[in-house]
Amino acid sequence: MRISDLLKLAFRNLMRRKARTALTIIGVVIGTISIVVMVSIGIGVNQSFDEMIMQSGSMTMIRVQKYGAVYDEEGNYVDSKEQVLDDSTVELIRGIPHVKAVSPVISQYASLYSGKYESGVTLYAMDCESFEAFEFPPLQYGSYPTKEHPATIVLSPESMEYFYCFSGNNYQEKSIDPLTEEVILQFHNYQTHQRKKEFKLEFTDVAMMEQTDNWEYSYNIYMDIDYFRQIWKQYSNTLTLEDRKRAISAIENYEEIKINVDNIDNVEQVREEIEALGYAAYSEMQYLEPLKETSNMLQMVLGAIGSIAMMVSAINIANTMVMSIYERTKEIGVMKVLGCLVRDIKRQFLLEAGLIGLLGGIIGILISYVLSFLINKYGAGIMGSLVGTGTAGELSVIPFWLPFAAAAFGMLVGLLSGYFPARRATRIRAIEAMRTEG
Amino acid sequence: MEKEPEKIIELVNVSKIYRMGNEKIYAVNDVSFDIKKGEFCCLLGTSGSGKSTLLNLMAGIEKATSGKIMIKGKNIPKMNENSLARFRQRHLGFVFQAYNLINSMTALENVEFPLVFKRVLPKKRRKLAKEMLVKVGLGSRLLHKPKEMSGGQQQRVGIARAFVAKPEIVFADEPTGNLDTKTTIEVMELIKQMARDNNQTIVMVTHDRSLAAYADKVIHILDGKIQSIEVNEQSAEEDAQMHLKEVSRRLISDRGVDAGMTVTEEQKE
Repeated sequence: MRISDLLKLAFRNLMRRKARTALTIIGVVIGTISIVVMVSIGIGVNQSFDEMIMQSGSMTMIRVQKYGAVYDEEGNYVDSKEQVLDDSTVELIRGIPHVKAVSPVISQYASLYSGKYESGVTLYAMDCESFEAFEFPPLQYGSYPTKEHPATIVLSPESMEYFYCFSGNNYQEKSIDPLTEEVILQFHNYQTHQRKKEFKLEFTDVAMMEQTDNWEYSYNIYMDIDYFRQIWKQYSNTLTLEDRKRAISAIENYEEIKINVDNIDNVEQVREEIEALGYAAYSEMQYLEPLKETSNMLQMVLGAIGSIAMMVSAINIANTMVMSIYERTKEIGVMKVLGCLVRDIKRQFLLEAGLIGLLGGIIGILISYVLSFLINKYGAGIMGSLVGTGTAGELSVIPFWLPFAAAAFGMLVGLLSGYFPARRATRIRAIEAMRTEG
Repeated sequence: MEKEPEKIIELVNVSKIYRMGNEKIYAVNDVSFDIKKGEFCCLLGTSGSGKSTLLNLMAGIEKATSGKIMIKGKNIPKMNENSLARFRQRHLGFVFQAYNLINSMTALENVEFPLVFKRVLPKKRRKLAKEMLVKVGLGSRLLHKPKEMSGGQQQRVGIARAFVAKPEIVFADEPTGNLDTKTTIEVMELIKQMARDNNQTIVMVTHDRSLAAYADKVIHILDGKIQSIEVNEQSAEEDAQMHLKEVSRRLISDRGVDAGMTVTEEQKE
């Protein structure tokens, strides 16, 4: 038989029992809706998590901090311990496989002045050669420091936003443009020697990061660690004798060591190896992993609910097809005697089942889009608090592939559930079929 | 000597055995005969004689337990389902007692149906089906559904369907079994005429002795065996004499006398 004839026949047979066909299609529609909506919610929640992850820094980052957390066997925080982080530690960690970049970190609180306005920032000193590996954002202007030109101070956009004038009656807020306005950096951590001139660093060579979601690169300022040591030395020289020693010893050991791992899948492995070296290390992954697992679990549960609905509709299709074969037993017998190939009989029933699946799938997808819209509009608040995603992201996200996948899945379910009835139809023996009434 | 028409159907020692528990039932028991091209052959027997089974065996609807059924040089019991289906598309037509039309389809669509299996294009097959329906006198009922037609009309649709693909052999299983006498004659005439127009071979099963008069050859079946084979030399056109001759022939055969017009063959080994 020609495909066009098979299609025509299949349509005609579906139309013969309109109510039954419609009910079966509704079954598939419900199945499709539940799968699409559930999966879309799963994806939406996952995306919210991903946004959260993006905001909390790079996922491939591991930190070893001066005050490492100590956990008991069950993973509860019990204490913190001070660990000595120096160049030998850095080299030790550099030797671990999958480590892409390692950088010691020194951070100091610093004050910024511009005329009568002032602000405070945390200054991070890192190895400038590792900036790229740590995914420092692109720059609005200027360029990152290199070993040849280490004196560049890298500013994040919001570090220049909140300058206040404390001398006035009302605290005026002002943002400073370091390109046109003079900015001076000072440390106030230690006491300056009375007879020495206060340490001042004027911003002459600056670079400005672009705004990103990552908070790390939003408020702090960065510089090369060697350059920092140089200015810290200058600063120390202005201090009282006692404080000079303290200042020098303060940067002898590092505040933190940052490690970047080549692949997100290796983060846990590297972290464990660092722990094996005797250092407490932590990564965002460590905390997000359980969250991610929860979210995956949620997606699986939602998917399972959807699948059950789809399974019911598959059984429904099979039932309809079996009924239809009983009704058409005689017809099948006649067709066989008139020379219809077994293959064509099978195809015809498969086509009918597939059409039910496909039609149900398409209608289901259309309704799913409406439901998804409604969920995002009205359900986000309720569900958001339920699921625990604080972000205002969309709760139900239907990616472009989902409708195609759902339609294909609907059709597949139809074909699969039509397969056994169709095979049964082909096994009907013409002689018996023609004896039946109808 | 006249040139012998070719044997289009040849049965050699065909048996069909049904098993009921330990008991063997011979529905068809060691039957051999042949049918020539263009012949109108009638399988005559009472119900339960195995005549319908024999027809089903020939059509490949049932498989013979043993023996050879050669149709157009092909051994039917040895063919698989697919090649049988194709064989039926090409060479066989069927007329049934219960018409077996598809109730959801119009007369035209029913007649078109065998052509659909043969992958004939819609335009062409519609034309052929329409011609056929006009030929059987249903030109005005093309779009009627079977339920809207009388038995005789339905059987005409059945005949149109059987002949539409111009098969060389048409099997008819009690084609007039559900019809009254007047319609029976009409239908038989129609089958006979159609077959003669295209030199088609007809194999008809019936229990009605009077219908045997239409046949060129009558095979009497009893308990799965051939009782006798009559070859009717005369043409069945002479309707008026038909019944009388039929009666006289039966009398002669009942007495077991070999008359000039009737030949009784012994079964072949």
